[in-house]
Amino acid sequence: MDYKSGVCNFCGTGCGNYLNIQDGKVSGVFSSRNHPVSKGRLCVRGWHFHELLMTDHRISSPMIKVDGNFKNVSYDEAISFMMEKMAKYSSDASESTAFLASPRSSNENNYLFAKLARSVFKTNNITLDSESGHRSSMNVLGEGAGFPGMTGSLEDISKTKFILIVGSDITKMNPIIGSEIHKAQMAGTKVVTISSRVTQIARLSNVHLQIKPGSKRSLLAALAKAVIDTDQLDTDFVTASTDGYDGFASSVNRFNMADVLSLTGIDSDTIKQIAGELCSAESAMAFWSTGISGLDQDTVSYIYNLLLFAGKIGKENCGANPITGICNLQGGYDMGTAPDLLTGFQKLSDADAAAKFEKSWGVKLNKDSGKDLYKMLADKNSKLKCLVAADHDEGIIKYSKEIEALEFVVYFGTFENPFMKFADVVFPIAGVIEDEGTYTNTERRVQLSRKRVEPFENVMPGWKLFPMIAAKASLTWKYSSAEDVFKEITSLTPSYSGMTYEKIEKSFGLQWPCNDKYPEGCKRLDGASIGRKFKFAPVTENFTIHSATADYPILLIASQGQHFWHQNNIMKKTYIPKREYNATLLVYPKGYIEICKEDADKLQVREHWNVKIVSSHGSMIVAVKISEDVKAGTAYVPYFIREMISSFLLEHNQEFDKGEDTIIPIRIERI
Amino acid sequence: MYLIEKNNVMKLAEELAKSYSLYGPVTDKETKQVFFNKVASASEISLTAEIPSIPPKTVVFPQIERILEYKYDKGSKKVEMNADFDTSSKALFGIRPCDLTGILVLDRFFMGLEFVDDVYLEHRKRMFIVSNTCTVPFKQCFCVCTDSGPVAEEGYDLNLTDLGDVYLVEAGSDKGREFAEKMGLQKAGPEHTLEKKNAVDKSISLFEKLATDNKAWISRVMNRVTTGFIKEEVWEHIGKQCFECGACTFVCPTCSCFNVEDHNKFSGSTDRLRTWDSCSFEGYTKMAGDHNPRHPVEDRRNKRFFCKLSYSQSKKYLRPGCVGCGRCQWVCPGDIGLPNVVTYIRREITE
Ligand code: SF4
Ligand code: SF4
Ligand code: SF4
Repeated sequence: MDYKSGVCNFCGTGCGNYLNIQDGKVSGVFSSRNHPVSKGRLCVRGWHFHELLMTDHRISSPMIKVDGNFKNVSYDEAISFMMEKMAKYSSDASESTAFLASPRSSNENNYLFAKLARSVFKTNNITLDSESGHRSSMNVLGEGAGFPGMTGSLEDISKTKFILIVGSDITKMNPIIGSEIHKAQMAGTKVVTISSRVTQIARLSNVHLQIKPGSKRSLLAALAKAVIDTDQLDTDFVTASTDGYDGFASSVNRFNMADVLSLTGIDSDTIKQIAGELCSAESAMAFWSTGISGLDQDTVSYIYNLLLFAGKIGKENCGANPITGICNLQGGYDMGTAPDLLTGFQKLSDADAAAKFEKSWGVKLNKDSGKDLYKMLADKNSKLKCLVAADHDEGIIKYSKEIEALEFVVYFGTFENPFMKFADVVFPIAGVIEDEGTYTNTERRVQLSRKRVEPFENVMPGWKLFPMIAAKASLTWKYSSAEDVFKEITSLTPSYSGMTYEKIEKSFGLQWPCNDKYPEGCKRLDGASIGRKFKFAPVTENFTIHSATADYPILLIASQGQHFWHQNNIMKKTYIPKREYNATLLVYPKGYIEICKEDADKLQVREHWNVKIVSSHGSMIVAVKISEDVKAGTAYVPYFIREMISSFLLEHNQEFDKGEDTIIPIRIERI
Repeated sequence: MYLIEKNNVMKLAEELAKSYSLYGPVTDKETKQVFFNKVASASEISLTAEIPSIPPKTVVFPQIERILEYKYDKGSKKVEMNADFDTSSKALFGIRPCDLTGILVLDRFFMGLEFVDDVYLEHRKRMFIVSNTCTVPFKQCFCVCTDSGPVAEEGYDLNLTDLGDVYLVEAGSDKGREFAEKMGLQKAGPEHTLEKKNAVDKSISLFEKLATDNKAWISRVMNRVTTGFIKEEVWEHIGKQCFECGACTFVCPTCSCFNVEDHNKFSGSTDRLRTWDSCSFEGYTKMAGDHNPRHPVEDRRNKRFFCKLSYSQSKKYLRPGCVGCGRCQWVCPGDIGLPNVVTYIRREITE
């Protein structure tokens, strides 16, 4: 039989698939009927996974840059070159050197990457790319519930009675989770979506709260306030199982219900009704996207606290559920690719945990938290000189000027991509299905992706390559497979300690924690077993929102689309998704701005006409697309097609770092 | 008509494997999912396995297939071309009636219209087909409504029907008859024809209620779809549930949309590939010059159902485009597999 079971490697849903392997080559993909998450479904990306795996746009040999051009060299030469150059920075590595890890790398490769940074190059400046939103969610859930991961399970979506979706364009970002929510809705679950634009999930919801851009937090505060005002608080649960109620309640009480309509565009009666339904539902879940398009920590805190108010955390079919946009974003954190973390969210500052790693790795560790790469790049006084990056498969490179100005850049990657041009040394690394590897999806499910084909042009797998680098620094890392690396991970990581490749494979993956207490993994956070009370998350009382002015009367919002989510470079290596990308460009070669009919009439512009968009930073010219999906005074641009993103949008980098709440006040001029 | 003992039936497959590449239903050991795929040995094939998750159309119309290889020499400005595609002789063993009908529909598309597709013809030319009557329908099936099962009427070389201890073996072609004679199969009598009829009647009585309910409705729905008497809201209700994944097309035994792409290889030569495509994709219709319709997703969706359920399309294929396999229902992230769409339209008609 040519069909071999596997895992989709695009988004954080982690759908099951089969790859068709003939004569050692990938030639098709099919969906997996019995997989607990995907149950026979795949999205447009998943249905074209084989096209990516077939591409020859690969890095085929180690390369070093000589006089501005890459030259193929042996692994050994490339490593010697790298070590020689990086020796310069070793005396103040914690200032001069940073590592950029990838949410696409397997757990094994991310673990080794972090081990390399900390033990060989002596730096804790490790950043997981595209991460900010997810880290905020992990902070809230970790501190509040002692559970830095989705507290519910995707399998429970079909059983929950109430679903709140905050902002996420989920049928585009994580379509199969969107599908599961849609099917639950069809079967009677109440689904409420909060977003400024009419997305597909908004259309498929029972209620769409089409709020003013940037007012999510106000709306969530209003919902919490309504819970108090209408006496719907789950008092028994809050008293018995939570700490910090007073703090949150006083913040919420400062929200003035009389302002709600003007702030959010939603009236207080609707809010009271939704709050009532959330509280009285037998079970409830909330979903929000994380990663680059995620929410800020304050908004996540409001969601989590609201669920605590309603007594919907740590119970059956409930969950505070952050959704990862990239296959191993959760796993990246689990592997400690962060300035302050070791594996499994153990703190670097925790002496016992650090000692355990020192013993295993045979080195002394610096226990001071490192710095965030993007903060270093933004800091004009930073002493950063050297960057080591992995699998940066995005078309748009943030801070590209600053990266270009660094003295030395090392890149580890599978595919050819725009990041390579910044590098002085490039190492190819075996891709998914050319090596074994585990990936942790958004619901903490650790899944095994088996080796199915030989590596492209004999490039090395991570478990061989990284130890060769360590060996140059006289450290002996002994692995003869990715599985050996996984064994080391499980020996150091309490939440992974009960896992083995064999066990994972037998069960379509295991959800952490998987240990003595949960030998078969843990579907959802069990409130009874956390051994302490839930803590309410600290929140701000800042309810101001961007408002339109006479000069800039329209609020521009941005988000990503399904084929090219995440400004993704990978989709361009496929056929059908690439064709879809080109189709959009065919009609809108310079991108488009979506406005409603009413605004178009007011501006006296028509479909496809070019207009000038002006903000306080600059201007750009794009075509008009008239749409029913935005309200008057709001405009939308898709932020995912390289060709559509002029420097105008990049100028607003800081704004885009806010993810979902990216809002740019603009005016539109006829030209 | 012939008979073969149940425990000998796989001997037919073994014999075919001597002169053909053998394909049939195979169950994945780990996950229990059934595929229709090439086998190394006849023993992998199961005649009792449920309807394969992937339709046998993959044999004649693979997901990705090389139809040509070429190399461009920059120096001499010459192209070297090599029409290198699969020319092996294939035997399909145990294909279900709906899926066989699907292949007949594909035949009309690839070989029966204005042009004949060489690559497809190569797959079909020397093919030997052994179909397998469904004496028990599967949960998702509704071939009774679409005139494509549970028993095959045409297109096979041999047809098997499970009669308890023996299989009834019917020859549908000279090739099939010769093969049966060569195997020295025992002749069947009129009583076996009756037994087969009873088995089929029993099978029909076992279909899910939705399938039997829809039986008469399919033609009424087809009438509606053809005449365009379906309210816009119904299409909207359907269209807004489409996630534009393409799955319904990929798993459908009769869908034939494809795209041609050049794959530049590291070695310097290029493979010209034919890949599956889908009418649910924006790019597919845009490339066809269909710029920016008002309800883009809805329009693309009803195009599919028009293709499956209208008289004008049926004329082209000499039958409805849907063969009632039910696959689109369980791969759809929305809730708009074909049976559901029929139900939605039915609901509208009744109201
Ligand atoms: S939802 Fe995500 S994991 Fe599932 S098929 Fe699509 S891209 Fe792959
Ligand atoms: S339309 Fe659906 S049920 Fe009909 S043949 Fe195609 S996949 Fe099967
Ligand atoms: S399977 Fe469903 S969601 Fe996917 S393209 Fe077909 S109708 Fe649309």
